[in-house]
Amino acid sequence: MIARLLQRARLLARSLFRRAARERELESELHDHLEHLVAENRAAGMSPEAARLAALREFGGVEQYREACRDTWVPPLLTDLVRDLRAAAKSLARTPGFTVIALATLALGVGANTAMFSLVKTAMLKPLPYPDAAQLDEIHRATPQDRKGLLSVADFLDLRREAAEGYGEITAFAYADASVAPPGEPAEFADSLRVSTNFFDLLGIHPQAGRDFLTEEETPGRHAVAILSRRCWLNRFGGDPAAIGGTMRIDGVPHEIVGVLPEAFNEWRHLGWVDVFRPLALTDDEKSDRTTARVRVLGRRSPERSGEEAARFVAMQGEQLARAYPAIHSAATLHTVALDEVRMGETGGVAAGMLIGLSAFVLLIACSNLANLLLARTMARAREFALRAALGASRLQLLRPLVVESLALAFGGAVLAMVVAFWTTDWLRVRSTSDNGDQVVFTLDGAVLAWALGASLLTALAFGIAPALFALRLDTSHTLKSGGRTTTGNRGHRRLRHVLIVGQFALALVLLTGAGLLVRGINDLNNNRAGWESDERVSGTVQLPAARYPDAASIDAFQRLALERLAALPGVESAGAAHFLPFLTWYDPIRYIVDGRDRPEPGREPAALVNGVSPGYLATVGTRLLAGRDFHAADSASAPAVAHISEAMARDLFGRESPIGRRIAEVREGALDWIEIVGVVADVRSIFPEPTPVTWRVYRPIAQFSRNRIEFVVRTTGVAPEGVVADMRAAFAALDPDLPVRDLKSANARIARANYQLAVLRDVLTSFAVLGLGLAAMGIYGVIARHTALRTGEFGVRLALGAQVGDISRLVLANGAKLALVGAAFGLVGAFGLSRMIGATFPGMNLAPGAILGSSTALLVVVALLACLVPARNAARISPTEALRSE
Amino acid sequence: MNPLRPELLQGTLDLLILKALSTASLHGWDVAKRIAVVSKDRLSLKQGSLYPALHRLESRGLIEAEWGVSEAGRAAKFYRLTRAGRRELEHERESWESFAAAMASVLDMKEAP
Repeated sequence: MIARLLQRARLLARSLFRRAARERELESELHDHLEHLVAENRAAGMSPEAARLAALREFGGVEQYREACRDTWVPPLLTDLVRDLRAAAKSLARTPGFTVIALATLALGVGANTAMFSLVKTAMLKPLPYPDAAQLDEIHRATPQDRKGLLSVADFLDLRREAAEGYGEITAFAYADASVAPPGEPAEFADSLRVSTNFFDLLGIHPQAGRDFLTEEETPGRHAVAILSRRCWLNRFGGDPAAIGGTMRIDGVPHEIVGVLPEAFNEWRHLGWVDVFRPLALTDDEKSDRTTARVRVLGRRSPERSGEEAARFVAMQGEQLARAYPAIHSAATLHTVALDEVRMGETGGVAAGMLIGLSAFVLLIACSNLANLLLARTMARAREFALRAALGASRLQLLRPLVVESLALAFGGAVLAMVVAFWTTDWLRVRSTSDNGDQVVFTLDGAVLAWALGASLLTALAFGIAPALFALRLDTSHTLKSGGRTTTGNRGHRRLRHVLIVGQFALALVLLTGAGLLVRGINDLNNNRAGWESDERVSGTVQLPAARYPDAASIDAFQRLALERLAALPGVESAGAAHFLPFLTWYDPIRYIVDGRDRPEPGREPAALVNGVSPGYLATVGTRLLAGRDFHAADSASAPAVAHISEAMARDLFGRESPIGRRIAEVREGALDWIEIVGVVADVRSIFPEPTPVTWRVYRPIAQFSRNRIEFVVRTTGVAPEGVVADMRAAFAALDPDLPVRDLKSANARIARANYQLAVLRDVLTSFAVLGLGLAAMGIYGVIARHTALRTGEFGVRLALGAQVGDISRLVLANGAKLALVGAAFGLVGAFGLSRMIGATFPGMNLAPGAILGSSTALLVVVALLACLVPARNAARISPTEALRSE
Repeated sequence: MNPLRPELLQGTLDLLILKALSTASLHGWDVAKRIAVVSKDRLSLKQGSLYPALHRLESRGLIEAEWGVSEAGRAAKFYRLTRAGRRELEHERESWESFAAAMASVLDMKEAP
């Protein structure tokens, strides 16, 4: 069987590639046979002449049999295909300009689209690396201030008790960045999670080496164990198996490393790039705390429970909590969100949709360019087709070479598109590089390849066959009669070509507007210094380990000392500390009531985001104090509680009255602690476009409002911000060698990094817009140039009859401008829709859609006119005598 | 004896060639001669039609060709059966015989008074 297949393949290959040799063999075979016949006839006594004639009669039609033999060599379909491909290659090679432009168009259009498909596949389609991920939910506590809030530990424990009945298994985790240090090495900052001991088991992940957490390691005192990500194990321990069972200092405390996670786990799409996992090890204080939202909750539904049942159950638990603890929960609900939905976030989903949608626009523009090119090409061969049709070629025979040409283009285009897609995703990968060197690696697999090939085939075939069908509708006799004198083509063709150009310009306007909006919006965000300044600022984050900084006093002591040392550094004008920097997100709103006012319904109290700040912080970040006094060193933990409130909060709460001296209190169970307002601070806005439902801000002295995570910021003078980084690092190391500082860099660098995903979105859309505009310009240039060339005779007549050169140029330009304007008019509708969509996705962005729409339209028309300028000038240079002679 | 009508030969030519090659490897002329001799010239096929059939069988992998030297001392293409060809011959022969037998019995019944 195999031998037979091999023989046939060999024969086929020989017939295809060594055709001349096969022909010679056939020739000699037939010749031999004839010679035998002649010889036989001669032996029978015939004359040489008669013998030859008789032999030929006996043998039959030599040419006919020769052809019949050839037909058996290669299956007929294959022969035709090979012949057509050869013809297509020849025909494409004869017009290298067309071929190069068509291939480049396909490569860019399909490549951009394929890269975006790869991105969406990587980000959204590829399942999370958890078995039966469809059963996984996140459980959020929604409040009017925060739809995706955390749960308090006490609530989580209640929920976990009940969940076994009506839901399944649930687990909790909390981000707890840590300083980690292998034995004898300096500490570094690591992304770290504290997790319930059933965390990995619930997700369905098993350590690739070592073991999972044990249930008893949940107990404080037994919890000094850690599981590392594979990357952390490789980076910090060189992948040494002996590291498992060994120890490392985490936040200065030795922990035993019990396991290493598999590579597939620990994805940027879900938990982020986390390096170190420790047991949650809840203390008794934490377990009874119902006020502080501390943990995120993940659940795995029992297989027999549907998503709706589980959602109902969780919502019901939320209602029970609200009944039991109205002061805390009355405005809160619990709800489940499928893990697959959480991971991208709404913004991410819209962004991905926008990317793939707009890349489809680029592809469409590319397609219509290709259609125009192919149409022009087909029209140029109209006479040839008409002639062949007149000679009796069937429709199929006429179509075949065109289809095969398109196929050849499609395959070539697909290969080039893969190259373009590879470059694009590689660029995206590099852009995604995070601080710990991790990158988002994009999938370029069979599906992506199939996408490129499919898109190319679809494009080339759809847009190759359309002009071919036009060619078939040609009026044969008319085309032949016109004697090869080409006119501007019949009305149908002209209309089609114009529709294509109009469509291109409409799409290009949408692309331009989209890019324009995001460029404007993101630059606005990045350049917005709403209530703060970032030039000449350097900041860094420290996470004081609870084990060594157990109370507010120790944290305060460190913070004061650090500020003293930082302020004394050369080139530093002032230094400040805060829990949050104004340009990044603030978390955890706290609800407040005002002294002397009616207390709102429980849970409906207005909320503010709270920042603990050091004296001098406001001046350091350039936030203005509008009224009252700054905090000072005397505002210590033991001193009376004081606060600043933001401008918006002061206006909303007190109107024209002065808030200074008024009192507010945090909403909590039990007695209220009144806080005196001593100042009003200008409003600040972060660089992020996400809406913050909470617009009020409260500032507390950092000594009275303690957290382990502190941002330090200095304002430099006379030196470049980067110049003080090393000194700052040394100052922290001198205070506590086990305390790494994260993100220690200029504030502007941090801002750029924080917004990098938006910046990537902006850059990708900008390149789409440039690509789309370029392709559309090329398209209109091609059409107008061709149109002008075909009207040479007419222009000649006009000039001969006294038209001015300017009239001719204007005619051509008006032609182009008309197409561009009609396109823009259609495009405005789409562009308006897109601007609404972007506006809804990024409500925090200042998009200025009107201005962008106007300038995009203007740019589009200018580009169209520029593209038509060359044909217009050529038209103006026509010499009437020559034009008329060429008729 | 009348020559057989050509249309009956469709498909049987392949069988004849396979049969002719079943005992020896032959070049085209010899195949034609052998078929002519065995059939006592009753198969009035144009000799040229042999070649498309030979090439078709070769393409199907039922026979294979080799260049050798003919008895006249000239280079000639010799065909011989492959194993697949031998199986095909058996198979075709059986189906031909059963077909012939069926035809014969049907015709006999009709002609029987």
